[in-house]
Amino acid sequence: MTLEGVLGPNTTIDDAAGIKVEAPQALCVVDDALLLLSSGNTVLAISRWGDEPRLWCSFDQPVTALCASPAGAIGIGLADGSFAVRDKAGSALAGWGQPEGLASVTDCLFLSEEEIAIVDSGYRAGEDILSRAPWDEAGRGQVVAISRNGATRQLAAGLHCPMGLARDAGGELIVSLLERAAIVDLAGKVRQSGFPAYLGRIRATGTGYLLSCLSRRDPLIEFLKTETEFVAEMKATIDPRHWLSPRANPEFSHDFPIELGATRLFGEIKPWAPSFSYGLVLATDKAFIPTSSAHSRANGARHAISDAVEWNGDVIAVSRASGEVLRFSIARESA
Amino acid sequence: MSADFKFSSLPKQPVPRFMLSPRRILADVLSSGWVESMIPFLAFVCVVVGVALTTENYFVASNLRNLAQYSADGGLIVLAMLIVVAVGGIDLSVGSNFAMSAFVALFCFHILGLPVPVVLAASLACGALIGATNGVLAGLIGCGALLTTLATMITVRGIFTLSSQAQMVEISTSARIDDLWDWIGFEKILTMPVGFWVLFAVATLIFVMFRQSAFGWHVLAVGGNRKAARHGGIRVKATIFLSYVLTGLIVGLSGFLFAARQNSISSDTGIGMEFFVLTALVVGLGGFVPGRGAVVPVLIGFATIYLFNNAMINAGFRGDFVQLCMGAIIIVILAIDVKFRKNRHRLLASTYLDPVKVTLEPTKGMAGLMPHEKAPKLAQARILGAGDLDGPEDVILDRDGNLYCGNRDGRILKLSGPDHSEISVLAKIGGRPLGLAFDAEDRIVACVAGMGLLRVTLDGAVELLTDQTGRSLMSVQDDTSIRMADDLDIAPDGTIYFTDATKRYDIDNWGLDLLEGRPNGRLLSYDPKTKKTRTVCDNLVFPNGVCVTHDGRHLLVASTWGCSILIFDLADLAAGPRVFLDGLPGYPDNINRSSDGGYWIALAGMRNAILDQAMKYPGLRQRMTKRVPPTNWLFGNLNIGGVLRTDGAGRIVDALWDAPDGPLYMITSMREHEGALYLGGVTNDKIGRLELADADRRWTGPQSYWGKG
Repeated sequence: MTLEGVLGPNTTIDDAAGIKVEAPQALCVVDDALLLLSSGNTVLAISRWGDEPRLWCSFDQPVTALCASPAGAIGIGLADGSFAVRDKAGSALAGWGQPEGLASVTDCLFLSEEEIAIVDSGYRAGEDILSRAPWDEAGRGQVVAISRNGATRQLAAGLHCPMGLARDAGGELIVSLLERAAIVDLAGKVRQSGFPAYLGRIRATGTGYLLSCLSRRDPLIEFLKTETEFVAEMKATIDPRHWLSPRANPEFSHDFPIELGATRLFGEIKPWAPSFSYGLVLATDKAFIPTSSAHSRANGARHAISDAVEWNGDVIAVSRASGEVLRFSIARESA
Repeated sequence: MSADFKFSSLPKQPVPRFMLSPRRILADVLSSGWVESMIPFLAFVCVVVGVALTTENYFVASNLRNLAQYSADGGLIVLAMLIVVAVGGIDLSVGSNFAMSAFVALFCFHILGLPVPVVLAASLACGALIGATNGVLAGLIGCGALLTTLATMITVRGIFTLSSQAQMVEISTSARIDDLWDWIGFEKILTMPVGFWVLFAVATLIFVMFRQSAFGWHVLAVGGNRKAARHGGIRVKATIFLSYVLTGLIVGLSGFLFAARQNSISSDTGIGMEFFVLTALVVGLGGFVPGRGAVVPVLIGFATIYLFNNAMINAGFRGDFVQLCMGAIIIVILAIDVKFRKNRHRLLASTYLDPVKVTLEPTKGMAGLMPHEKAPKLAQARILGAGDLDGPEDVILDRDGNLYCGNRDGRILKLSGPDHSEISVLAKIGGRPLGLAFDAEDRIVACVAGMGLLRVTLDGAVELLTDQTGRSLMSVQDDTSIRMADDLDIAPDGTIYFTDATKRYDIDNWGLDLLEGRPNGRLLSYDPKTKKTRTVCDNLVFPNGVCVTHDGRHLLVASTWGCSILIFDLADLAAGPRVFLDGLPGYPDNINRSSDGGYWIALAGMRNAILDQAMKYPGLRQRMTKRVPPTNWLFGNLNIGGVLRTDGAGRIVDALWDAPDGPLYMITSMREHEGALYLGGVTNDKIGRLELADADRRWTGPQSYWGKG
């Protein structure tokens, strides 16, 4: 897929209404009157768009994932790979097991009121997953489930940078893969591939799914994957911050490489310039075929969309680059 | 002021004498004009080799003389056909015209007994008359060339048959003998027959006509694009008419030569000639191509067909079999040629970029001065001309404090002092004005990419100083034209030193020069007294900024992709450059004097670890340019630059940066003037003006170079 047709550029994300939030990461719709959003070590809540986010609860480390059960239990993933379960009011729910040996909690999903599936990308909080993922062949990610009775079980392993978890139309679990730009089931079977972006979380909507994208794929990076000697030297000698890789931020820095078309003219970045960071939300149908898209282009600031959910008919998305929670509507074909 | 450094103790910068790269040679060959004719030429070589291998004693002198004698009239007709095809027409009547002219010659000589020069005139007149008929119908009236000449072919053939039948016997039994007539028919000059020399002379004349004469250019223009030629003011109809007349004239000459040699005609003289000639033309040109006056390829095509035909008939093959073979081989030659032409540009595009391994000195002398280590001083600069300028690559101030800069639209703009808010056009040059300098008479000398070195007076008068230098010895491509004049400076004796940053790329794709990494540039000099341009040093890596040192004895030259500053001794330029400063943190552009005896160095962009590493992988860069769209090619970070200040010995003492997203993001030039620094950028639309706290407030550039005016 290329950024054409229904994936053609627009300025929907740049034009969206936004709320500034410190270090946002994940979203979770509890019901029409409660949206939870993570902000650094805390989880904030809003009841209506336009309300000032209020503190819902806080932890001793960054919150990396949120999920809610139909009955209103909230699962919270933390940066060190630990997990907490709270009720709707933010009080701890006892009895839930603690997953063992996870590098991170990237996403989570209630399988029932008694069991939660957790996605572990395989990268620790300190490792920049965007820098490393293109140059890492090993599938270190896994999906595990924890139960209210304290038991844990592994649902899938050996996944390459899994980022999000959802159920398909038949109720089976599917995972979005960041660097492989694909959606697979727990057995690793590809359901849809060839997305033009580094995928973040996948969220079910009434008509299909919302795919949040951390950046767009880049022909130069794809090409360099075939240059093994060069990549080996890059990994051995250069700080990962300066690797050629997708990025979360559209910042300028003297020590970042750029692409030929990204040269500024009159100080401005051209919207159509190639960029290592990008803001993109894809809406797909139930077969994961894109039906529309929202963009923040090369000259925009709302890049690295880590989560996008549907809430009261609008799309609510998180831009990690600008530190904002955004609201916009995305034109979708009716299913 | 004496130098703060000892030239002889600086490290030498090795400069290759020439560049030897198979890929470069292939690319240069592919981009040269004569490669168009390569396939016809190869076909010719194949035929020659084939005939030499299969026929004994074919290429002995006596047979070659024979061939030259008999082929001359055919060769002339091919050239005649080339002219009408070049003008966008065709002449099917050449065979009939040939026969008719030959008959006129024989009739005048044998029956009327006229002197040979008159016979020649009559033949030419006959040919020209038939040509003129074609010209009137096809050119002036506008009947189609094909139909017109088909009609004249049949008509003239009819007239020829009617008139010649009655005279044929009389001609063949005529006993008239004339020395000049026989000399033309049978004698040799310098071992070759007269007919051959006539062909040679006519070919040379037509070659010169297409290359050098207005008429030749008009013919090509009309053939290339009739409408455009008309819009360009060319008298299209007259040009076509004259082309047909010229064609007829040459055919008449050919008929005359035939008559003098054969002394007889038959009813089938000239039959089928038009097709033979068209075949030769098509093989030579690689198709039916109007607007191309390629004399040599067409003659090669003719020689190929003629030799092949002749050798096969000599070998005793049946005529129809020979024709069959000819047809088949021509189709093969044409198929290969058309394929080659179609793919030549693709082949050229994929071979032109010729990367080489480049290992740069690590950044040095920048401790505590890098952008992330220092507050952005350029953020305090005042912005001038925002939005009214387009790419002020260089900025310069005159004695009165007026500011000048080049603009992308080819103009030189003046920002009047002291506040520089009023912008006016000093001169319209065209091209892309880059480096600027004031000479001793307060005139601006400008480097203009795509044009060369120009001089502009402050009244706005523009004068081209030079646009070419001597050709380098070891180059396939003609590199005399100055392709990308970049920056200049003027020595105390008035000699202008300037750089031609790259001989292989233009202002629009100069970035490819970075990916190539080869020393493609050169340092040139122009002496206004003798008006001579000289190549001072060839094969430098993107030589850019030029600055004569404060003592006037040395010359600093920035090597942009080399991230270094080279220095030349003006008293001994032949000794080559030494390294004044290397391991710069970015890509140096212009260099200019500072008031404290040091230098300002503009950095157009910054180095980064990834690109530095990629420069060590030429194969990777080559593959990248093939597999990745150009917009996604890895490139130098030209989105952030700045200014370095060095002392007189080349030690970096300060660095000025803007905020990463600030307006003065890339700097290609800076000039100090009365305590302020003016900053320009080739991709910017503004100029910065930074107050310098500790600078000499009386110091100006013109005064530093030329004293008090």
